[in-house]
Amino acid sequence: MSAPLVMLQDVAKSFGRRLLVQNRSFTLSGINITVNRGEVVGILGESGSGKSTVANIITRLTSYDAGSYVYDGRDVSGYLKSESFGFKSKVQIVFQDPYGSLNPRATVADSIGEGIKLHQPQLGKTEREARVRQLLDEVGLPPDCGDRYPHEFSGGQRQRIAIARALAVEPELLVCDEPLSSLDVSIQAQVLELFVKLIRERHLTIVFISHDVNVVRLICDRVYVMHEGRIVEEGRAHDVLTHPQNEYTERLLAAVY
Amino acid sequence: MTVPLLELRDVTIALRGSNRRMVTGVGLSVSVGEVFGVVGESGSGKTLLTRTVFGLQDDTYLAGGTVNFAGRTLPLDGYMKAARKLLGGEVGFVPQDPYSSLNPTMRVGEQITEALYLAKRMPMNGTATRQAAIDVLGEVGIPEPELAFRQFPDQFSGGMRQRIVFAIALAQDPKLLIADEPTTALDAITQRRVIELMLDRCRTRGMAVILISHNLELLRQSVDRLAVLYGGQLHNIAETAAIGHHTIHPYTEALFDCIPSKGKTLEDIRAIRGEPAGAGFGLKGCAFASRCRYAEPICVESDLPLNSAAQNGFTACLLGRGAPQ
Repeated sequence: MSAPLVMLQDVAKSFGRRLLVQNRSFTLSGINITVNRGEVVGILGESGSGKSTVANIITRLTSYDAGSYVYDGRDVSGYLKSESFGFKSKVQIVFQDPYGSLNPRATVADSIGEGIKLHQPQLGKTEREARVRQLLDEVGLPPDCGDRYPHEFSGGQRQRIAIARALAVEPELLVCDEPLSSLDVSIQAQVLELFVKLIRERHLTIVFISHDVNVVRLICDRVYVMHEGRIVEEGRAHDVLTHPQNEYTERLLAAVY
Repeated sequence: MTVPLLELRDVTIALRGSNRRMVTGVGLSVSVGEVFGVVGESGSGKTLLTRTVFGLQDDTYLAGGTVNFAGRTLPLDGYMKAARKLLGGEVGFVPQDPYSSLNPTMRVGEQITEALYLAKRMPMNGTATRQAAIDVLGEVGIPEPELAFRQFPDQFSGGMRQRIVFAIALAQDPKLLIADEPTTALDAITQRRVIELMLDRCRTRGMAVILISHNLELLRQSVDRLAVLYGGQLHNIAETAAIGHHTIHPYTEALFDCIPSKGKTLEDIRAIRGEPAGAGFGLKGCAFASRCRYAEPICVESDLPLNSAAQNGFTACLLGRGAPQ
């Protein structure tokens, strides 16, 4: 049994007064999350529960105040500059909003190819272009659409581009922060199918952040339920979401349509 | 015997300026006291339809058809003005975003007494008006309504704000409440509470409700009948009990099949290929044809059947799928 890929131990973070929401300051505390290789782990919670902050901590987009974060056996706080750079190709993120997360002035091929250029500089231009075409095909877009700009695509297609960009650097871990929430119902199902295909074919390790109980139940192996900055329940996704032990999880499940 | 409260016949809505038809040939009727749902993806015209019918949309107009409300036919000439007269008295409106629909500089109580003044000519500062406002705040489940009366909107959470918006609508004692995605901005737990409370209070008062949502599962569990819009066309009017039993329009069926609702496995979920059609499809051909698993050439070539004022089980499928036997 190899060491877990992600190990958050007692991680805490608080936001200062400038981020006061409804007269409450926000704190994340006692976060213990383990993600093993090849697992799809869900983080379920409502808005304000802190699930996106956890995503940002795992991807090192934000810092934490206390606790430790061990990635693949090495504490990230002791990272050297070169390790930090390497980390960026190991962990990738797909954001909620496919309109805001792509550079409108870069072509799709540029956006997808940028990471390859940085992290695999040994690849030549033609190899890189071939790689981009292959990625576009893998996420279900026409391979020759690389010359086009993000505004020429629909929301679902842009989310596919964002997924292709994340996969371009061959990450070990993919963090998806509400990747379906801003899409239409029929498109959500399409992108969900894409995730299922990627999980099966690439054996990706995924942290899937969502407020949608049903999606988490369908694709995740394990789940952490968050509420007000804490983890209130964890376990096998199917067990937790059919027989919840925590009172909050129970209420959440009862409310879902 | 059901009495129709709102009746749309062949309603067509066009953009001002370009005259582009965004919604075509919609006919439906909502009875007194009925809870009616409208479902559609973005661009289906669900919001445009109701906003235009009640004169809330500036950039579109009613280009054809008739609208009857409580036995009166609204004139096409000067339609917007006539439709707006219904609002705030006979028709209440709860918009999607409770953060922008309340006036942040006015106390909650004032916003309700203002509604009472405008709709019922009750004096702004009267004791009876104040009591009526406090009563309605209590009715929508605001704890300590006397205190809430003096507070400002920013002192409330999203769910409580949406209750206040609902209280304003309720204070006017309308015959019909239009709720356009009233809980989309809210969390799951709050969402269910607000929807259940809203429908319960409307049913108690005998008010009709039109609940607009993109969430088919929410509507299936909340409303009696629903209209399914796609690409600006009315595709289906179905009793919610029929959904999931394949006696419905192919689009309604496909929409239901792609929702990961409770008890479904990954194998049960079938995505609809392609992209949703935008509004403005006209009546030539079925807007859903390009994505429909049953589509045949006739679906693109023929005109979609119009319905005058839809009865139950109306299905605009050119292949006759989902029509009642």
